[in-house]
Amino acid sequence: MDNLYNAIFKGLAPVAKTSVQEALDSGKTPQEIIDDSMIPAMEAIGREFEAGRVFVPNLLLSARAMKGALDILKPLMMAGQTTTLGTVVIGTVKGDLHDIGKNLVASMLEGRGFKVINLGTDVSKERFIEAAKENEADIICLSALLTTTMDYMKDIVDAVRESGLNVKIMVGGAPLTSDFASGIGADGYSSNANEAVAVAKQLVAV
Amino acid sequence: MIQKSFQITPEELPEKEVWFAMGYRDSVPEARIRDYVLGLRDRLVPQATLRYMYQVVEAEKLSPRSVRMGGETFTPEGIICSYLEGMTHALLFVGTAGWEYDRAKEALKSEGDIVSDFIADAIGTVLAEMTVARIESDYDDLRTLSMPYSPGYCNWDIREQHILFSLFPEHPCGIVLSDTSLMAPEKSVSGFFAMGKDLQRQPYHCQICKNTKCYKRRKG
Repeated sequence: MDNLYNAIFKGLAPVAKTSVQEALDSGKTPQEIIDDSMIPAMEAIGREFEAGRVFVPNLLLSARAMKGALDILKPLMMAGQTTTLGTVVIGTVKGDLHDIGKNLVASMLEGRGFKVINLGTDVSKERFIEAAKENEADIICLSALLTTTMDYMKDIVDAVRESGLNVKIMVGGAPLTSDFASGIGADGYSSNANEAVAVAKQLVAV
Repeated sequence: MIQKSFQITPEELPEKEVWFAMGYRDSVPEARIRDYVLGLRDRLVPQATLRYMYQVVEAEKLSPRSVRMGGETFTPEGIICSYLEGMTHALLFVGTAGWEYDRAKEALKSEGDIVSDFIADAIGTVLAEMTVARIESDYDDLRTLSMPYSPGYCNWDIREQHILFSLFPEHPCGIVLSDTSLMAPEKSVSGFFAMGKDLQRQPYHCQICKNTKCYKRRKG
């Protein structure tokens, strides 16, 4: 495997940046670099996580290295080319200030090729809808860590449906289950950040 | 009502508990992650002032799901109540890693490194839990203390935190409770120890709990 793949897999951000430049100097296009080295590295670290061989910090380190490399490539992409699989608006729902899990999902989505609009914590249904409209989002991602705030997810799902927005909704957070997610009318649910990427890709049919 | 505050040195932070809170369970992180933890520990821990408050009240088990403590009725549900045979009193507590730690964590977050943010969160969790350990070691009584139990865990509805807080002065240790039962500073804890001469202290039976994602979940 090439240096860039290894740098992202191992979460070595400075090495990833150097390796991106080396790949560009060798004549590869940004899209080739992303498709041939970067995305496969993120997928590989995701598989390692699912298998229990690496832990959350490894995912974060890889996502950080991926982001640093993407930041170099994005300005070089030609008009019409895109580095994104889709646009995701993500936030922790109103009344809840927990953001570690949500930020982890945001990083993983970003690292695997999604454009992510992170609204932070304590986000109202109106703000989710406004941001989804502004950014022409493909997916709205809702997070909650409290049993007292997860019920607000249904309000958001209902409000999004009433708004007529053509957007998928996925939910996650420690107290949630797939039954709860389908019960409130969400399109997708994931129990961890790596799985969230797979669900998001499924929702945008990549 | 007892109220105390204390600081710890970075070396006093139990490193393995931080790893546990980071999801490592029984595994040991690789060297660079351990170094990352140590670097943040040295930076953040000196900024934290830990605070706790506790009181002992009369208590009794009312049913397999409910108890009365300090004149208020709580429903901690079956898992917790199964540990409470012989309870005559309860030690109610709140504890926090403090607003100082919250601010230090926010400052770190503004630097935009999600790895640091994640580790700082785990360190804060352990600091808050250290207040509970300090209460336990402070308390000198012939009656047996149970393990600590908190609203939001072991099927105990987190909303009962409001009842618990009603038994303390307003904003104990500076902790503010939101309508959604969220404590601020973020790294705060609350709950009770059951007490009684005939009480048997029992380990947590995590295997009978359905919440497999609980960060406190232990094997056994």
